[in-house]
Amino acid sequence: MNAYRIKGKGRVDQRKPVRFSFNGTAYTGYEGDTLASALLANGVHLVGRSFKYHRPRGILSAGSEEPNALVGTDRGNGRFEPNTRATVLEVFEGLNTTSQNHWPSLKRDVGAINDALYMLFSAGFYYKTFMWPKSFWNKVYEPFIRGAAGLGKSPTVPDPDTYASRFAHCDVLVVGAGPAGLAAALEAGRSGAKVMLCDEQAELGGSLLSETNARIDGASGWDWLKAAAAELAALPNVTVLTRATAIGYYHQNLLGLCQRLTDHLASPPEGAPRERLWKVRAKQVVLAQGAIEKPLVFDGNDRPGVMLAGAARSYLNRYGVKVGNRPVVVTSHDSAWLAAYDLAEAGAKVAAIVDVRPEVAGHLKQRAAALGIEMLTGWTATGTSGRLRVASVRVNPISRNGVFGPARTIACDALLMSGGWTPSVHLFSHTKGKLDWNEEGQMFLPGERTEESRCAGAGNGSFGLAAALAEGAEAGADAAVDAGFKAKAATYKVDGEVPLMGVSSRELTTDRNASKAKAFVDFQNDVTAKDIRLAVREGFKSIEHIKRYTTNGMATDQGKTSNINGLVIASDAVRRPAPAVGLTTFRPPYTPTTFGAFAGYNRSELFEVTRKTPIDVWAEENGAVFEPVSLWRRAWYFPKPGEDMHAAVTRECKTVRETLGMFDASTLGKIEIVGPDAAEFLNRMYTNAWSKLGVGRCRYGVLLGEDGFIRDDGVIGRITSDRFHVTTTTGGAARVLAMMEDYLQTEWPDLKVWLTSITEQWAVIALQGPNARKLFEPLVEGIDLSEEGFPHMSVAEGRIYGVPTRLFRMSFTGERGYEINVPARYGRAVWEKLFEAGQQFGITPYGTETMHVLRAEKGYIIVGQDTDGTLTPEDAGLGWAIGKSKPDFVGKRSLSRPDMLKADRKQLVGLLTSDPNTVLEAGAQIVLDPNQTLPMKMVGHVTSSYWSGTLGRSIALAVVEGGRAREGATIHVPMPGRTHTARIVGTVFYDPENKRLSA
Amino acid sequence: MLHEFHSPVGREIAVGKAIPLRIRTVDDCARFSLRFDPARLAEASKAFGLALPAKIGDVAASSGRLAVQLGPDEWHLLAPLAEQGGVERAFAELYSATPHSLVDVSHREVGIEVEGTAALLALRSAIAFDIEAMPAGMGCRTIFDKAQIVLVRETEERFRIEVWRSFADHVWGILQATSREIELDI
Amino acid sequence: MLVIRCPYCEAERPEVEFAYGGEAHIARPADPSTLTDEQWKDHLFIRTNARGTHFERWRHVHGCGRFFNAVRDTVSDKFVTTYKAGLPRPTEAELEGMRK
Repeated sequence: MNAYRIKGKGRVDQRKPVRFSFNGTAYTGYEGDTLASALLANGVHLVGRSFKYHRPRGILSAGSEEPNALVGTDRGNGRFEPNTRATVLEVFEGLNTTSQNHWPSLKRDVGAINDALYMLFSAGFYYKTFMWPKSFWNKVYEPFIRGAAGLGKSPTVPDPDTYASRFAHCDVLVVGAGPAGLAAALEAGRSGAKVMLCDEQAELGGSLLSETNARIDGASGWDWLKAAAAELAALPNVTVLTRATAIGYYHQNLLGLCQRLTDHLASPPEGAPRERLWKVRAKQVVLAQGAIEKPLVFDGNDRPGVMLAGAARSYLNRYGVKVGNRPVVVTSHDSAWLAAYDLAEAGAKVAAIVDVRPEVAGHLKQRAAALGIEMLTGWTATGTSGRLRVASVRVNPISRNGVFGPARTIACDALLMSGGWTPSVHLFSHTKGKLDWNEEGQMFLPGERTEESRCAGAGNGSFGLAAALAEGAEAGADAAVDAGFKAKAATYKVDGEVPLMGVSSRELTTDRNASKAKAFVDFQNDVTAKDIRLAVREGFKSIEHIKRYTTNGMATDQGKTSNINGLVIASDAVRRPAPAVGLTTFRPPYTPTTFGAFAGYNRSELFEVTRKTPIDVWAEENGAVFEPVSLWRRAWYFPKPGEDMHAAVTRECKTVRETLGMFDASTLGKIEIVGPDAAEFLNRMYTNAWSKLGVGRCRYGVLLGEDGFIRDDGVIGRITSDRFHVTTTTGGAARVLAMMEDYLQTEWPDLKVWLTSITEQWAVIALQGPNARKLFEPLVEGIDLSEEGFPHMSVAEGRIYGVPTRLFRMSFTGERGYEINVPARYGRAVWEKLFEAGQQFGITPYGTETMHVLRAEKGYIIVGQDTDGTLTPEDAGLGWAIGKSKPDFVGKRSLSRPDMLKADRKQLVGLLTSDPNTVLEAGAQIVLDPNQTLPMKMVGHVTSSYWSGTLGRSIALAVVEGGRAREGATIHVPMPGRTHTARIVGTVFYDPENKRLSA
Repeated sequence: MLHEFHSPVGREIAVGKAIPLRIRTVDDCARFSLRFDPARLAEASKAFGLALPAKIGDVAASSGRLAVQLGPDEWHLLAPLAEQGGVERAFAELYSATPHSLVDVSHREVGIEVEGTAALLALRSAIAFDIEAMPAGMGCRTIFDKAQIVLVRETEERFRIEVWRSFADHVWGILQATSREIELDI
Repeated sequence: MLVIRCPYCEAERPEVEFAYGGEAHIARPADPSTLTDEQWKDHLFIRTNARGTHFERWRHVHGCGRFFNAVRDTVSDKFVTTYKAGLPRPTEAELEGMRK
């Protein structure tokens, strides 16, 4: 029952208890607690096992940099998340959490054997251990690696949550609401600029939340914070976002903020999104990210109960939790002394302050002495004990010339360490801003910037409250001025602050065998100091290589607590200065971010635009099975009860050939081309000749790229002398229009012609079959449908059922065919009427599969299926569509390049399998000699392949090297199980004389 | 004439009693894509019966007609349904002297009106440019999530979206989601 | 996502409204049939692939619809300027002034 909580201390609401569970045990925390603070209040330090060695681990930090305390969280209803940082997770009533990386239990874990076998798992073990024997890979190594891989458990059901996104534009965006960020936001806000302030924590304040000594302008830090927050809230031009982590800083001052909306709520409102990704474009950015404390690197620095001194201070001052009753402090930085004072004043028995520096400031010692704390300056830590919780620390004095004195063991229940502070320059680095090495502070600081940004406070190396406030205020004012506002930085008077100094060091020296020390640098990936030294010994000199070989800094925390320690050790081992060794690259996101946040609204139905035709609703009501075609969903086939796809398609094909079918062709791209130069424009774009196409006639056109390869095709009708109705493939619609605009705007701007997309203006119903005319002749007004008045490849405007129509006579089936264009909103009604009227002829609706079969029987190609961007019209058997007398058209010049004239180019041919019942697989490769040795020479592939009910056998189209010259030859198609043989034939399988078009 | 089918059919989203946000599909109208020589704009204005805007992004509106200039020589025109034939005839008479392109796109688009104090917030969910900085009486083509739209700011708090009909459901779905956030004030 | 100034709209617009259009100032030969195979190959396939200042085409496809030209630094990804199609390529001196 919160044995370590100090009544009345901290900022959590001790009147509002919250019940939660960890590994099945019920605990109580308070509103405002994180899981980490609530567990520590209950005396729980052991929260997980490490990834590689399965060593017991506790809570290292009090913030988002936490490498150790990762838990699984279960919010109910399938809301399970692995690897949640306990130091960030806010507790709420009913929260269930579990520890990770162990079996059978956290306290007894079989995997801990890895710890004893640590010699096997040293740096680069992945590369060394699994090399030989080769035969071990499949059966031993891979299963082992797969079993060991992964951190935590994956969720087992789809994420039930929804996610949101929002764009924002502002004058000044301030990242981080610690003292520097607050001062910056206040200044910018007062100037009248549009300001956004974000912080990853639930409350504003940053380091102020853990600071109880200093006073700002005469007020306590917390009172000042309260007033600052109130002022910001009252400014209408300021937006404050808490629980919002700036995850990435992109070009031109675009920042991504991931805001957690409901994770802290016991019962989120129905339909509330879990997170929102803000995409903020700011004129000016102030980065006040603060600093992260570095661990000290020594043997046993990873036991539960060993934590950062600053974190211990946060738990005490902010959450009212003593992390131990008998802590020891081991440090190289003054700031850890403050933790010792605060804990001593809160009633803990601070057993000792061990400082590796021979000398520290007098005022530090005076205060420690006054609190009765033993001081061991010039001592170092050389080991710890305690299986599931630290029980003692081994310390030695070191003389000025490096000689170790006898060891002493000090009992403790918490060990608080500090190796100094690392400015958080992550976001600055995302912009490729230059980092400068600061030798004195052993840290990288923001240097030359690439974006309109400023850094302030500890994140800029300006440590301490007074410096942060001053620099923040100045950055905020300057940012506002640069954004076009008037501002002048306020000054703040800070009392009660002492200057804090420290030294930075590589791993602490030891009197014991350093090669046996488990001195951790990267806690999450279990990388020790000796791993880094081993990597250097094995020849790795660049920090980027050392990082990958040892995996230092490659875990989900991106090395927030380990990068600089790793670098300093590497630089010592390489014997080169740290900046020469370099820093690894920081990349977004700053902290682990859910895929949901990135997806935003784009999941389930909104994953991608699903375009539906006006007739789609009817198809759905009438049992259509759909398939996606580019962004559209199209009716694939219309099965009757008891029919499978094969039966339905065979029936649909038969009905079209024998009487009548109707097909929704609305998805076809349509472009209206208007202007006196319309025909000339088409002449230049398409291979065919258009000048002589009469009004009321249409023609099949082929569009090439400038490289001579087929890009698109379609039927083009001349409505009036200056107005053409161009159709394109479904998937090519936008591309073709863009290509036409390109030529029109940039090559031929003198042409008087304009292009308009009318794809969605018209619904298109294809009526195909011998009874097509009979069905709708009585329904059409204003068009003479007689054979003479409206022959094959005609177009006319009239009315059907009183609705205006552009009627085409054309066929993609080989049967008599019409395509009825009606304004989109009438599409469904006209379709229904025609379906009703067509009953007398036994009409069938048919889908894209039947369309494919029917056109393949006729050898009509589908661009993108039978062509793949490397086929010329000649290759595809469309040489007849080239206007050879035209001086030029797009792609013409390429058709006479030597490669285009080779006899062995792949050409489109028909295939008939020896076994008529065998339907080849589309995409199957073709060989001439099935007995050649592997790898065989492939001479082409099957592009289309179907069962043709009409012909009672399978048919296929294929591209084959020099195919047309091989007509009659037998080729072979190796497929799983057996190799099929087929004969090369022409591409037209049905009605080669085209008699049925007018039947 | 036959019955017309819409998508999304006469749907409406309302958030809050005092209409901080109301989203509805607008009534059908005649729509044209006009491509015209900007140097002879007066002729087009006369034909359409409305002084067409002469700067990209400007909007002119009067007695049921609306015109927004989308490109250097491109206007999106709206007119009452009953006047469709009249507009077409007026431009047809112009054609031989001043060639241009007037294409009927009445059925291509669905109109969606987003109105209320929260309208900006709703649109900011899916529009990347700074719509707050867009004055009333301006319009442009842009992207809403993954759909191309024409956005017109009719008044401070009323926007009109024109979107191709097969993209309308997607736009509507996102407006529904963002409306829920606004309703929950989250 | 970049912000790109459209010289026709005279406004800064988000990258999602634009489409990239390859290298700029490559005119299609007036009569391709007069070109040798070698010349035609160069026209089709050979590009500058600049490291640094690059003249390129963009289209404000989901805005005003116009193709225009831009000068962008391919290393920093920063635009130096954009200008209407048909205008001459800015000189190095002019660009230097704009980079300031």
